[in-house]
Amino acid sequence: MSGLGPLSTFKRNPELRFVGLAGPGAIFIVVSLLLPLLSIVVFSFWRTESYELYADWTFDNYRTLLSEAAYRTFFLRSLITAIIVTVVCMLCGWPVAYFIARHGGRYRLLLVLTLAAPFFTGAILRITALQGLLGPIGLINMALNVVGLAPIEALMYTQLASGLGLVYLFVPFMVTAIYLSLVNFNFELLEVAKINGARPWRAFFEITWPLNWIGTAIGMILVFIPCLANALTPRFLGGPDATSFGMSLSQQFGETGTWALGSAMGVSLFGASVLVILCLKPTIRLKRSGFTGAMTQ
Amino acid sequence: MTAVDRIDLAIEQGEFFALLGPSGSGKTTLLRIIAGLERPDEGEVRIAGRNVTDLPPYGRHVGMVFQNFLLFPHKTVAENIVFPLRMQNVAKTRRDEQLAWVMGLLRLQGLEARYPNELSGGQQQRVALARGLISRPALLLLDEPLANLDRELRSEMEVEIRRYQKELQIPFIYVTHNQEEALTMSDRIAVMRNGRFEQIGAKHEIYTNPASAFVATFVGHANRLDGQIVEIDGALARISWNGESLLVPRPTGAAAGDKVHYFVKHEDLEIAPAKVNGIAANDMNEVSGILRDIIFKGQTTNYIVALAAGGDLVVSDTPRTASVHPNEQVVVRWPAAVGSCFPEKAR
Repeated sequence: MSGLGPLSTFKRNPELRFVGLAGPGAIFIVVSLLLPLLSIVVFSFWRTESYELYADWTFDNYRTLLSEAAYRTFFLRSLITAIIVTVVCMLCGWPVAYFIARHGGRYRLLLVLTLAAPFFTGAILRITALQGLLGPIGLINMALNVVGLAPIEALMYTQLASGLGLVYLFVPFMVTAIYLSLVNFNFELLEVAKINGARPWRAFFEITWPLNWIGTAIGMILVFIPCLANALTPRFLGGPDATSFGMSLSQQFGETGTWALGSAMGVSLFGASVLVILCLKPTIRLKRSGFTGAMTQ
Repeated sequence: MTAVDRIDLAIEQGEFFALLGPSGSGKTTLLRIIAGLERPDEGEVRIAGRNVTDLPPYGRHVGMVFQNFLLFPHKTVAENIVFPLRMQNVAKTRRDEQLAWVMGLLRLQGLEARYPNELSGGQQQRVALARGLISRPALLLLDEPLANLDRELRSEMEVEIRRYQKELQIPFIYVTHNQEEALTMSDRIAVMRNGRFEQIGAKHEIYTNPASAFVATFVGHANRLDGQIVEIDGALARISWNGESLLVPRPTGAAAGDKVHYFVKHEDLEIAPAKVNGIAANDMNEVSGILRDIIFKGQTTNYIVALAAGGDLVVSDTPRTASVHPNEQVVVRWPAAVGSCFPEKAR
């Protein structure tokens, strides 16, 4: 039995096995995620001068963020946009995910894979395509022009257009998250609810919604956090009044070269995201989710 | 596809009715039509005199208990049980009263705050029953509710469920493929096959007087003897079977020369050692063979007899009655009037 070399020791020692299996992943996360994050936190307390970083410890960057009205506006605009986009994605995503899970039948997998179709091209290309749809000489306004109607100004380089772009970019994440939750949901429970006197909507809010809340919440986080940091859609679809916090942030690392301030902005975004997750956390009660290991079988 | 066809059934107030049939016989579909989960292409469902055919399930005021319990996993026992009352907007005080009553009836006290996955299978089934009964529905439908429980618990629950039904006088329709369950619990049984009723009747009637060859094989344990009618003599018919001549109840719609299936229940047969073989009485059948095996089953014993003429007969008896031993010559006897006989091809 023995004498099989180091491999068998590895197999028989659970602690060694744990380290061996979890180690590479852990190292990857530390090197590629935690270290850069930590360096950003450190930079945010430094100072930049003519494109150079100086390690002078200071709170100035945060003071600037709080005192200058422009940053506050950018931040609030990003926050409100992210909230609205998340809610809209949820409202659009639920019916789609529900339909696929309930009525997709043998095409279920195919339909879900179609959700990934937009990812075959880059985000910038997709946004440019949207420009071709919403812009002044885009499909919608050109069509209106042909019929002799005035173009819809609200779609041309506005915050609305920028928000629509965000919904378009992120709704697949929401649908996927809700779908994955719904495929594990026992739809027979709805029949039980109906037999016991629940009308369809009541049954939905009593049974379907709470039992799929975790999936929905995951979808909301997946949409909300990138939306909050979004810099892309306002640049291509938004007008001058659509500048987002993320857009301003990317400028600090590019045009203006104020790395320290940019880092502070990054830390603020991170903090806001953590705050949102913490706000969602109390709504997730594992016992109330039906997620408690052994199902009622 | 037709899952159920030409079903005509009336269930009385306060009756325990069983739908018995093999899987795929349409009994669950019938139950789902009654519950409103499935829409019949034609026909009518009436509950307590009210035509509910076009009503959705939530307008029918029926309760239903499922094989896999289907408790709401995110609700506590108490929340699960009062769910139907909440859906009917019953006032909180009334709800609590009803909850206390049904928890007492089903002996669930103390489990109010538990979640379904913290309960045993039997407890879960009780909670499902409580949820079905709390609003005192016009009708309770039970879809193989005991199939997931172990044997001992099952027989305990069989007796209990029948007790609740008799106490509450709510009609129960109980779907099962288990004949023992159907026989133990119900007042009347409908035997289903391929979406149709083979026979509807009191359980005693179904057991002793099966209306078709299918019912005869499906209810109880019977020997099947395939023979041919030699002559018909009043209420009896003489058939030849493997060279033996047997007297059997006369099959309806058959004439001399027809092939028939004759069914006789294991427990209707009697076994005796061959040496006490006398002259067979006129109205008794008697065949001889070798006792091949004795299968002790506790309350009863099955004797498997290999007949001289070929084929096996199974005789069921209390273990101590017969002083017979394996590999000995035995005779098997039974009265001519027992069992049931059907023509091979129904005319």
